[in-house]
Parts: sequence; structure tokens; C-alpha cells
Amino acid sequence: MEDKIFTISEYINLINQGLKEFSAKIIGEVGEVNVWATGHVSFTLKDEKNKSVINCIIWKSRYELYGIELKEGNKIIASGYPEIWPLTGRLSFKAEVIEYAGEGILKKEYEKLKKKLTEEGIFEISRKRAIPTYPQKIGVITSLKGAVMADFSNNLGKFGFKVKIIDSRVEGQTAVVDLLSSIRTFRKENIEVLVIMRGGGSLETLQPFNNEMLVREVVNFPIPVIAAIGHDKDVPLVSLAADLEVSTPSIAAITISESWKEAILFLERLKISLQNFRNNLLNIRNDLNVFWQNSLIGFKGLLLRINQRLENAENIISANNPERQLKKGYSIASFGGKIIKSIKDAAIGKNIDLLVVDGTIISQVKNINPVRGYKGKIEVQNK
Amino acid sequence: MPKEDTQNLNSNLKRLAEITEWFDEQEEVDLEEGLKKVKEAVGLIKTSKFRLKEIENEFEEIKKEIDIENK
Repeated sequence: MEDKIFTISEYINLINQGLKEFSAKIIGEVGEVNVWATGHVSFTLKDEKNKSVINCIIWKSRYELYGIELKEGNKIIASGYPEIWPLTGRLSFKAEVIEYAGEGILKKEYEKLKKKLTEEGIFEISRKRAIPTYPQKIGVITSLKGAVMADFSNNLGKFGFKVKIIDSRVEGQTAVVDLLSSIRTFRKENIEVLVIMRGGGSLETLQPFNNEMLVREVVNFPIPVIAAIGHDKDVPLVSLAADLEVSTPSIAAITISESWKEAILFLERLKISLQNFRNNLLNIRNDLNVFWQNSLIGFKGLLLRINQRLENAENIISANNPERQLKKGYSIASFGGKIIKSIKDAAIGKNIDLLVVDGTIISQVKNINPVRGYKGKIEVQNK
Repeated sequence: MPKEDTQNLNSNLKRLAEITEWFDEQEEVDLEEGLKKVKEAVGLIKTSKFRLKEIENEFEEIKKEIDIENK
């Protein structure tokens, strides 16, 4: 033993430093409870079996944080360490974390809080915000221990996401402090969606996600929150309060990347449609060219036929033009207005008209000489 | 209007066909009538050739436009 003489406070400090090494989780039934004017709470925890008792104290901030009701008869687990209170010299267990012990009370308190928050409308579907499409900046709160983050990353896909991760405890009551702090940190970050995730667990291990303060923090978070907190029977209240609740981190990742996948699919379809459209245009252009060429040939043929018809008509008209025949020296003989085509059409002594190109010659038939065969020749005498 | 012109060309061709047919069918030459028809036919042929030329020119213009668009 040293010769140093300690003042009381120095000695208490020395003891208290040593007592910190006796940090523990203790379980017991709440006995007498005193709430101080400052909001700090002192209470006793007694052993169920042999009635051993220990004085405990919890500061107001911690007491409010965990939402555990310190009521006589409640069985709780307190995490902390013993400490001598200098002003009284009394030894107390300084509880830093308190939680309910036993599934029965956990279930009862879960239902109680759920009812209260439901009545407040915290879980209303109308309050939920849509998860943004094409998000890029993602905030993740999870424990980096285990495969949860790997599952999430593997299913997220490569769409240029910027993922900010805050490593947080996610199991046990002590996780509440980490989770609250992480969410508050993300409030200052530029993200488009926040994912809170962990693997599954029992009602006991999921207790932090049934914390009232955490639920309210999620509800009041400025951007949409996805909860991927696995569970057995009872859905954690944080999951109920989140804008979207999914069962696993993989599904959370798939949900976030869904709009990107759809966009890529859409672009691929669009590319094919545009290619088809281009092909259709080329086909139409080709068809038009063929049509034009055919029209060209058809029209030229039509022009040719019309020209031929005109030429044909011209030839016929030219051949039948009486003036042309008369100009050549031919004349047309007529008797009584009827053209003489046979010797039968004329008679000796009769006057017949001979039409030539520049007039008519009136002649008298002197003789008719039939030609052997069937044609005849008429001799005429001009008057 | 082009439609009317085309119809005219068609009707001209039809009329010319009638005239040439008339000449083919004539056994007795009606000189006066024949001459009248010749004059009518000559007029129709002239008009038709002129109109045909117009149509050809119009067609060439359209062809040029199409050729430019296809380049």
C-alpha cells in the first residue's frame, strides 16, 4: 500500500475507475423507482431467487432513448457498471442501456407501442413516399460484419450508384444509439434513398428496431427510407414506419436498381424499334424506287403508244385526203352526183363531172369499152 | 387543268380513231365530208402532238425532281 493520502473525492474517483472494470449486464426485477426533478431515474433491481438488491441509476437522456418503462415488477436487463456517487457515498449500478427481459414482456410492449403509433397514424400508407426512380446516391446503414452488405452490392448492379455506408451495430439494445446517430448523420448527406438493413433475428435481437425514437426518426427522415430488416413473426416497427419494407437486403438492392434495369430494357427495345423503323424506311424507299421505275417504263410506253396512234392516224388521214390524190393527177368522175366506179355507172352521150385539183371538168361520154375481165374504161369527150 | 387536258388528249385520240374508221368504211367517197374530216383530223393531230409534247416536258421535270431527291 502506498503512503499517499487521498482526499475522499480522489479516493472515490480511484475506486470508480476500478469499478468500471466490473461492466456487466445484469438481470432483475424492478423494485422502488424514483424519478428525480432532473429527469434522472434511480431504481432498485432485485434478484428473483434470493431477493438480493442493487441500487441503480440511469440518466434522463438514456432513459428516454430506450423507451423502457421502469415500473415495479418489470423484469429488465441493465448494461452498465457500478459507481460510487460522491455526494452520498452510495454505490449504484450506473445503467447505460436498459431493455426488457423475457419474450412475454417484449411482445406485450411491442404491441403496446405498435398500437400507440398506429393510432397516431405513423404507419399510414398515405404517409409513405415513393422510392425515387433512377436513384444514384444511396445511403446504407448496416453492420459491415456478415454478408448483408455483400448481398446488397451483388444485387445492386452496375448503374453508376454512389453508395455511402455507415457501419452501425444492428443487434441488441445498444444498437439504438448507433442507428439514431447514423440516421442523423445521413440527414446532412446528399442522398436520394436511405436503406436500413440487417439479417433476420428473433424479437429480442430486433429490439432496437422497435424503439420509438428510432421509428420517429425514420418517419421524419427527409427522403424515402427502405427497411430491409429480416424478421420472424412480428414486423419491426421501424419496418412498418419505413416508406418501403422488404424482407431482405437483396430485394432492397433489386428494388433500387429496378428502374435502371427497366430503362436499359426500354433503350434496348427502342434501339430494336428504331432499327426496324429504319429498315421499314429503307424498304419503303426501295419500293418507291421500284414503283417509280415501273411508272417510268409504263409512262414511256404509254407515250410511245399514243405517238404511234397519232402517226397511224396521220398516215391514214394522209392516204385518204382527196386533195392529195387530186394533186397527183388523179381525177374523180361522177354522174348525177354519184362516183363512177363501173362502166355501168355511165351511159354514152351522158354528161359526167371530172373533179381535178383545181376544178371540175364536165365531159360527155362518147364510148364505153369494157375491159376483158370485170372492169371497164370509159372514153369521154370534154365539153 | 392537267386532268381536262388528258381527257382532251384521250377524246382527241378517240375522235381520230372514229375518223380513220370512217375512212375505212367508206365505199362512196363523200368528198365534202371527207375533206371536212381530214381537216378535223389534222387539227386533232396537231393539238394532240402539242399536248403530248407538253406532257412529255412535264414528265421530264418531275423525273428531274425525283432524281434530285434520290441523290
